[in-house]
Amino acid sequence: MKIKLDPRTKIYMIFVVSAIVMMSATTTFLWGLKILITMVPIVLLIAEKRYASALRFFALYISALILTFYFLSSESTGLIRALLTGYCGIIAQFLPAFITAWYVIHSTKIDEFMAAMQKMHVPDGITISLAVVMRFFPTIKEEYGSIRDAMKMRGVSLAGGNAAKMIEYRMIPLLFSCVNIGDELSAAAITRGLGGEVKRTSVVELKLHVFDWILILLFSIATVIFVLNKYILL
Amino acid sequence: MKNIIEIKDVSFQYKGSEEGLLNNVSLNIAQGETVLLCGASGSGKTTIIRLINGLIPHYYPGDYSGTVLVDGHDIKNTELYDLAGVVGTVFQNPRSQFFSVDTDGEIVFGPENIGLNPDEIRRRYNMVVNDMNLENLMGRSLFDLSGGEKQKIACGSVSALLPNVILLDEPSSNLDWKAIEDLRNEIIKWKSEGKTIVISEHRLWYLKDLLDRVIYMENGKIAGDYNGDEFFAFTDEKIRSLKLRPVKIEEKYIDKFSDISVGKTVQTDFDVYGDSIKLKNFYFTYKRRPYIIRKKKLSADDADILNLNMPELNLPKGSVIGVIGRNGTGKSTFLRCLCGLEKECTGEIIYRNKKYHGKELTNISYLVMQDVNHQLFTDSVEAEVMLSMKEKDTDKCNDILERLGLLEYRDKHPMALSGGQKQRVAIASAIAEGAKLLLFDEPTSGLDYSHMVKVAELLRELAASGSTVLVSTHDPELIELCCNHIIRIDDGKVISSDFCDCAMDLRIDKDYNLDNRLEEDNDNAV
Repeated sequence: MKIKLDPRTKIYMIFVVSAIVMMSATTTFLWGLKILITMVPIVLLIAEKRYASALRFFALYISALILTFYFLSSESTGLIRALLTGYCGIIAQFLPAFITAWYVIHSTKIDEFMAAMQKMHVPDGITISLAVVMRFFPTIKEEYGSIRDAMKMRGVSLAGGNAAKMIEYRMIPLLFSCVNIGDELSAAAITRGLGGEVKRTSVVELKLHVFDWILILLFSIATVIFVLNKYILL
Repeated sequence: MKNIIEIKDVSFQYKGSEEGLLNNVSLNIAQGETVLLCGASGSGKTTIIRLINGLIPHYYPGDYSGTVLVDGHDIKNTELYDLAGVVGTVFQNPRSQFFSVDTDGEIVFGPENIGLNPDEIRRRYNMVVNDMNLENLMGRSLFDLSGGEKQKIACGSVSALLPNVILLDEPSSNLDWKAIEDLRNEIIKWKSEGKTIVISEHRLWYLKDLLDRVIYMENGKIAGDYNGDEFFAFTDEKIRSLKLRPVKIEEKYIDKFSDISVGKTVQTDFDVYGDSIKLKNFYFTYKRRPYIIRKKKLSADDADILNLNMPELNLPKGSVIGVIGRNGTGKSTFLRCLCGLEKECTGEIIYRNKKYHGKELTNISYLVMQDVNHQLFTDSVEAEVMLSMKEKDTDKCNDILERLGLLEYRDKHPMALSGGQKQRVAIASAIAEGAKLLLFDEPTSGLDYSHMVKVAELLRELAASGSTVLVSTHDPELIELCCNHIIRIDDGKVISSDFCDCAMDLRIDKDYNLDNRLEEDNDNAV
């Protein structure tokens, strides 16, 4: 089944999940709610036919949870356990936000995103800058790939173990090519009318469907419960 | 007929630069004309294009005098976004001219910007997609398209704004023959719709019979204004004296480059050439077979999934070998495998009874990338070469730099050098590493004639000093200038390789050796 969510729902999801991961779950009920919230983007990933990444995220999250609950406690000693506590803590805490962001980035087209921002009356300046950022991620990935290849060929991938050099060798060519591409990109975009005074229109028609409302409701309830728990009941 | 573009007494100089200086240029272009701007790099072609689309003075500021009128708009006093429906531009680099990440979004991007209502945008979208046969490209990620396909989308997104004037700034630089043919058809289409078209270009042969006028630029001035047919009737000598790339391509190349008749795999034996570099078992695929415990090594039996399938090939040592074939048939894959970038590749290189495979391939071969900026890491030319040496040896480094005419630049930052010099820095580091096999991925795309000749001479020089050079290219001119052999690749297989006896007279002059030429190059640059 294909679930098409409205970008506004997705943006709301990101906000809620990021807020919730920052609040600690103190009871079993809260943990359950947190896990439920995490499962939502994983299910959505499956609906997007991204089985491999859904499975990977699921396995990572569940194993971190199992380790945290059954094998580790605050009294854990020893180096390995200490490290594991740290890693699992970070994963269990922050992975939900990461999965959500990953899902949103991989399932939202830039024009949908821009249409949503326009509908929410966000100024064009902000919308366009955010759109450029989204446009740039794949570019950076491509450029970085070529640079890594070039380093492999030269045998300088590890730069003789010098960490500062390792970063330098990657960053300098990357910055140069990104600046160049960015410059050409903006020239091309403004010759096609970007930045004009007329209000941008959009062919994307956005409408909140049943599924959007269900998710918005679910996430709102979760937020309310977490906030009540943290600031009012305790 | 009415002039749609009027450039009057324009002088221009980029801010903080001596480059691209235009000197009192006047040019009128009539409605419906198709005009070519040609001339060496830096002669002001691109500057003219930018004058017309308004990027000068609105995006690239500088000293500007004179007036430019396009379709009644005074460019200097018109905001860029108001020109969007008047002038459309297709740029050189397909990689950096799209704004969306998917094809549909890209076509409607312009119309959305100028605030058309959604129904009108949809109508234009359908029109463009039908007219330009883009159906099978729709709904795809732009990052998965080939350069030619991206350029088609770029043409489509310009068309969607229905501009009267269409500018193309070196549009064929990154395209293969098939894509150039598509581009030609695009131009024919626009021409039939009565659009005014201005093309700045180095590759000329594909524009034959399309042009009404040819403007020849030299040092920021218009040095010639010819009728299209008159221009294409020029003799080779005349064209060469103008430092332009040829206007005709010899029949044998048309055959070799475009008509890829499915030939049989040809076993070629270069043993007659004595010392050779043997390639064995080069198999590689991007589609991985699922495996459970142990990955099966690729072999000739996997032919159905192989993207590269070369059981055996001998490369004659000390020669320049051209690698040709359509985009996406395995040229780049071949080069990537040869220099050890694809771990899964099973191939081995046998050179002087020593076998190299897997990671060791990076020691014997080196790829000079198309975008050479990716492979320069340090802050000086000398450091760049030293980085490649296992044992730092200043004398050897100076030797190499001297050979490549870079000695006086050894303290300069590589990024401050000209394109040709950067290429030579990359070659210097390859030599310092001891690479015997030098691979070039389209080193001349987007270069003008004299720079291309320089690259050709450099490649020959490298071969003469004992390196074996493989160069993948779409430029028949380059092959003619420097290649001893051609390998043609189709579907990952070598379908023919032959001796190319097309050594054009390079005016090899005994006194005019490499050093002189390089000095000349250095004088011209920066």
